[in-house]
Amino acid sequence: MENRMIRKMKTIFMKLKTNLAIMGMFTLVIFLTACASFRKADMYRDPNMDFGSIKTVAVLPLANLTRETLAADRVRDVLANSLYATGGVYVVPPGEVARGLSRAGVINFSSPSIEEVKKLGGILSVDAVITGVVKEYGEVRSGSVAANVVSMSLQVVETQTGKVIWAASTTKGGVSAWDRLLGGGGEPADDVTERAVNDLIEKLF
Amino acid sequence: MSTGCARPASTRRGEDFAGKEHIRVAVFPIINLSGTPAPLKDLRQLLVEGLTDRGIDLLDEETLQGYMTRHRLRYTGGIDIETARTLKEETGVDAVLITTVELYNYTDPPKISLWSRLVSTGSMPKILWVDGRAMAGNDSPGLLGLGLIDDPRLLLKKTVQSLLDSLSASLANVDQGARSAGKPLQPKVEYRLPVFNPAMKYRVAIVPFYDLSGRKNAGEIMELQFLNAMKRFENFELIEPGIVRAKLLNYRIILWRGVSMANADILFDVLDADLILGGTVYKYDDYQGGYGVPAVEFSALLLDRRSREMVWSSKSINKGDDRVYFFDIGKINTAQKLATEMVSGVMDQMVAK
Repeated sequence: MENRMIRKMKTIFMKLKTNLAIMGMFTLVIFLTACASFRKADMYRDPNMDFGSIKTVAVLPLANLTRETLAADRVRDVLANSLYATGGVYVVPPGEVARGLSRAGVINFSSPSIEEVKKLGGILSVDAVITGVVKEYGEVRSGSVAANVVSMSLQVVETQTGKVIWAASTTKGGVSAWDRLLGGGGEPADDVTERAVNDLIEKLF
Repeated sequence: MSTGCARPASTRRGEDFAGKEHIRVAVFPIINLSGTPAPLKDLRQLLVEGLTDRGIDLLDEETLQGYMTRHRLRYTGGIDIETARTLKEETGVDAVLITTVELYNYTDPPKISLWSRLVSTGSMPKILWVDGRAMAGNDSPGLLGLGLIDDPRLLLKKTVQSLLDSLSASLANVDQGARSAGKPLQPKVEYRLPVFNPAMKYRVAIVPFYDLSGRKNAGEIMELQFLNAMKRFENFELIEPGIVRAKLLNYRIILWRGVSMANADILFDVLDADLILGGTVYKYDDYQGGYGVPAVEFSALLLDRRSREMVWSSKSINKGDDRVYFFDIGKINTAQKLATEMVSGVMDQMVAK
């Protein structure tokens, strides 16, 4: 009688173990696929481009799609400084970029035409220009919880050909599950901006 | 004090007056950069009385007014070469005291921020001393709030006294050490090109920062902040901002969005400068009343004449309560004090080995 009970228990336990293993593998597959598709969707890199040849860049004023009037200027400043601080590329000072844009007659800074990019390349003596959009900057609410979020996308355009050689986007901050559970205002906007910019720079290099 | 290779100059401030029994000083009318009304006449009176009490020989009011009328001198926030030369020739003064009001807020608790500098006259004006003071009525509340100051006139007097003590110590060649309320606040991002060697001697022109903040005159205030911080290092020879301003006006240079290389080339040439320091100020916020925190955000850059490159760049963002962990201990109440520590942090990194 006792032996029968033990055998039955063992069978149930074995079935449970098999089910758990199948579920675990299934979850792992879902996670891995999700990560893979995410990576591919949020970045483009020209496979034929030698990124080592880009030594000087100009960060153009970013388009601002947020309600914060200085969001684009702030993000651009952090981006230009962080990019310069990598030591990998020389970033043209903002005053010189402003002069170049004025001389080249660029109207839409965030999406210059191929001719305008080529012209800028000549005036500023840069190998590439960086354009982009700040999509979100500031506080977002979810129920009674608020947190800062920064969302932006960038493009690197080669000045010789006017071709987009790299593009990526990122979103950092926002209301996390932790914030929802325990409250709190999230990170300051400046820290979120820095994280977002560093994420893009990591993707670039 | 910095751990860098550039040597601090605080011990040398008074050496320019060595060998002189007493110097004669002209106190220029005060410039108000606060964007709000301030008791400029009272402030000037306090300065004159304080300087007289300290035994400094002052140019009389009538002679100064006569000179200003004759030369149609209206801008007193700086001194250019021509003014410095004629002032010396016509009145015999050795130096001028240029004072600026950065903040005058009389609502309880009052807050006052001042800048002052002593510039020599003659054919080549030189900054002899520069310092700033910022005080708030609630800086030291003490036990049961007994240390609170609610009278703006009393706070103004205290601020002026503190500023003049610094000047007297400098004239007496007494080392006060570098004034800093605490540990410098380091920039968030910074980078220096290897071509810039901070151990070398440089002649530096500081231009007003491009102002994107809501605060009136924040660009000029940041210029004074860097002037004060860079004066600590003897290998930086600073060009008097009045001379820089005069050249910008003479050559019709508008620094839109910062200094372009074309403008920098002109400035390098006409000012005989090795470096140009500029930047952008995004935030320079003081707060009114007892609740709130000041916030400052700026980026700074250095342009080098020889390499024609930006050799230094930094980004700083801080708030007055960044070092507060409990009971407001360590809180900074004025944007000037906060920015002074931030700029001090920038300079430490700029000259570090």
